[in-house]
Amino acid sequence: MSAAGAAVSLARELAAIVGEEHVREDAATLAGLAVEEVAPAVAVAPGSAEEVAAVLRFATGHDLTVIPAGGFARQGIGGIPERVDLVLETRRLAALKHYDPGDLTLGAGAGMTLATLEGKLTANQQFLPVQSARPEVETVGGLLATAASSPLRHGYGGLRDYCIGVHFVTGDGRIAKGGGRVVKNVAGYDLMKLLIGSFGTLGVIVGANFKVFPRPRQTATFACDFASAEEAAAFRDRLLRSALTPICLELVSPRAQEYLRQAPPPRNVDDLHPAAPVKLDAGVWRVLLRAAGSDAVLARYRQELGSAVSEELTDDGESAFWRQFLRFQQAVLTRHHNAMVVHVSLPLSAVARALAAAERALDNNFLPAAVGRFGAGSLEIAFLPLLVDPPSAMQYVAAVSAFRGALPRDASAVVTHCPREAKLHFDVWGSSPTDRESMRKVKRALDPASVLNRGRFMA
Amino acid sequence: MRFSAVVQRLKKIVGADSVLEREEDLMLYEYDAGFSRGAPRAVVFPRTTEQVSRIMRLAGESGVPIVPRGAGTGLSGGSIARSGGIVLGFSRMNRILELDLANQRAVVEPGVVNLDLSNAVAGDGFYFAPDPSSQKACTIGGNVAENSGGPHTLACGVTVNHVTGVEVVLPDGRVVEYGGKAAESCGYDLTGFFVGSEGTVGIATKITVKLTRLPEFVATLLAIFDRIDDAAQTVAAITAQGITPAALEMLDGWTLRTVEEAMHAGYPMDSGAVLLIELEGLREAVEEQAEAVGEVCRRLRVRELRRARDEQERQRLWAGRKNAFGAVGRISPSYYVQDGVIPRTRIPDTLRHIESVAKKYSLTIGNIFHAGDGNLHPLILFDVRDPDQTRRTLAAGSEILQYCVSVGGSITGEHGVGMEKSELMPMLFTEDALEVMARLRNAFNPDSLLNPQKMFPTTRSCRETSGATLPGGGPL
Repeated sequence: MSAAGAAVSLARELAAIVGEEHVREDAATLAGLAVEEVAPAVAVAPGSAEEVAAVLRFATGHDLTVIPAGGFARQGIGGIPERVDLVLETRRLAALKHYDPGDLTLGAGAGMTLATLEGKLTANQQFLPVQSARPEVETVGGLLATAASSPLRHGYGGLRDYCIGVHFVTGDGRIAKGGGRVVKNVAGYDLMKLLIGSFGTLGVIVGANFKVFPRPRQTATFACDFASAEEAAAFRDRLLRSALTPICLELVSPRAQEYLRQAPPPRNVDDLHPAAPVKLDAGVWRVLLRAAGSDAVLARYRQELGSAVSEELTDDGESAFWRQFLRFQQAVLTRHHNAMVVHVSLPLSAVARALAAAERALDNNFLPAAVGRFGAGSLEIAFLPLLVDPPSAMQYVAAVSAFRGALPRDASAVVTHCPREAKLHFDVWGSSPTDRESMRKVKRALDPASVLNRGRFMA
Repeated sequence: MRFSAVVQRLKKIVGADSVLEREEDLMLYEYDAGFSRGAPRAVVFPRTTEQVSRIMRLAGESGVPIVPRGAGTGLSGGSIARSGGIVLGFSRMNRILELDLANQRAVVEPGVVNLDLSNAVAGDGFYFAPDPSSQKACTIGGNVAENSGGPHTLACGVTVNHVTGVEVVLPDGRVVEYGGKAAESCGYDLTGFFVGSEGTVGIATKITVKLTRLPEFVATLLAIFDRIDDAAQTVAAITAQGITPAALEMLDGWTLRTVEEAMHAGYPMDSGAVLLIELEGLREAVEEQAEAVGEVCRRLRVRELRRARDEQERQRLWAGRKNAFGAVGRISPSYYVQDGVIPRTRIPDTLRHIESVAKKYSLTIGNIFHAGDGNLHPLILFDVRDPDQTRRTLAAGSEILQYCVSVGGSITGEHGVGMEKSELMPMLFTEDALEVMARLRNAFNPDSLLNPQKMFPTTRSCRETSGATLPGGGPL
């Protein structure tokens, strides 16, 4: 059968499972769902866990590869797929399952967007401490699969700390779950932990339950500036030993400041005119501390921080600042198509050393700009290519491997964004302190035929 | 291989003084702090990861079940040799290997006692947050296996929220690492998966935990209610105010009278229920919260609200709670602690249901529990020598758990499934869901020689690979 003929029969068989109107195969749709220029043969949107299971059983039976997709907000993360047969869209699995304000728990379908979820909670002054630059695009399933992290993690923990239940379908089409609806539960294996950060390789998440939180009535953000990363780290260490309990504790490197401005100077992104990419912003390392509480609590912060504070943000100015902060990566990529973004996770004491190592990327024609969770050891480092002398594909490889080489053993450095040509030459995931063979065992147990995101993840 | 030959090889690995095989010695390892019983045929005390690895290989080669055990304070039979075989005791792997305060981490061996770690770092202003009531005795290895909680896990989270890395010996003897000191690492979160796997995936030989800074200020309140319903409603009302106490515990009238007689903790003898509420954090925030909690309590007809004036008073209020099980032990030959979880808004009706169950089965049931997160601990009093009482007790326990599940809850909040609740798992999970979990176990523990017959129902299709399970004291 010709390839076109195969696609037609594929679409027909999938239509029998989910209904004809939920199978798409027009060129425009498929081009829009391409991952690293690899377009799927068909896009299918099941309407229930049972339909997801039937689609995956079908895929397993026919050796098809499947990419689960929510809002397509973070599909750029991962290796280049060998081939994509199906994109399995979760958009029809977007229902609110339950919301009990008195219990501070909520259950949602995987396809629900963060914005919709937030909308359910606002009337009760509650919230999920996940922040995104694109809440109307990002979905519950996507946030979980990519273990999305945001500044509120410092005070509230990450998704792994407040996702209390997950429903998913294994690669071979078994409907499974972990956890439940209550905030404390040790019945069975903690499958939330496995699914969070599995990048759609262990199962298709169809729904999840969360612990939600009372929204702070008032917050303030204190910015403290330092001449070096070491001084900023020493300040952080004093802070972590103090009585203060901020809800955010972020670091902004000197070069990153430019991308956090509300209105960056208009610049033609394709302009390769040999202007300096971004000037050093007076060499200031900025530590951002966001505090929540009453007037008395905020007064205590002012008193404790004293002269370390160079700027205090409140009300609309504060909200606008954090909105822009979340757009850091977008702001970088708008201005530098060919920038490389690396997500680094490491012990606190190694952060300053890692930042110094990033600066050495200049050897490969990059300048680093970093933001991130200073109190959790989780950074996002953008490697900005020099405009005058852009790095070659091999220089991306060299920069990453030199940077990774300077990190301690239990650190991770995942390249979350880089040009496709560079991606062809290295492993975006890098090393992990966690045993690979054990990861493979888990993968084989949950996706025995390896239909999910084949070739895109590390295991 | 005959079992006596296995014992000879165990002695070669760890030395003759580290193996118990006489019946009178083994009897001590038949039980934990709960209901279940099962006799091992040998108990061995390794000192190193390498010894653990060699023992695992030996068990695998000779087809002998192997069960890890910390302090034996568990309540679900997780450390009991249900199918006989070898118990691996961790009392000699009890060193704190590293205190890395700059990274807020400690690296410990599994036999380190929970409270010993907190004591070791208290001088530097830190502690290990999970605080099971047995924290003076229970080990961190056991906490990891069961994903233990405790009164202060309401605000701080349970064990899994405080473990960033583990060194694990797998059933094939391979020594592997999951995670490390970093808060997260790329790849599957096998650390998170391992914590709470009840010793069915591998054995932790080194654990990297988070150390938490001690709070600047603590306020401990005792709210005394005439009616248990008012106390129950107060729980949900406090969280509705946007307050997350560090701990929010409840004792019903029967329990607090029993505790008071034994402990003289200062609990009033004639009240319907008390709430023990602890608030922690910045002094200013705690004072405001204490004020707000007081208002909620008054609105819900609190009879009296006491606040500990100093650490000594605070300890006295907590002593009643932490030693409650012991106090109950004074007046009843046996008691059965349940561990159901419910959404906290369902506390009032669940307590009424428990009362009706007590009547139905003619049993006394006390209630003492982590009210803030809806984790109930009904204490069913009975005499284990009386088979009829025992039967009624188990039936009542199961009926209570069924109710918990029916209102959206769970059969265990912190004690684990173990062998106690393995047959109840189908209340929560479909056959497919259990099969998926069993696949994961089989991926690591294919013959289920490591802690056999735990967590999974033994009577359904996802039961263990045949031949791997031996009846207690079976033909080995």
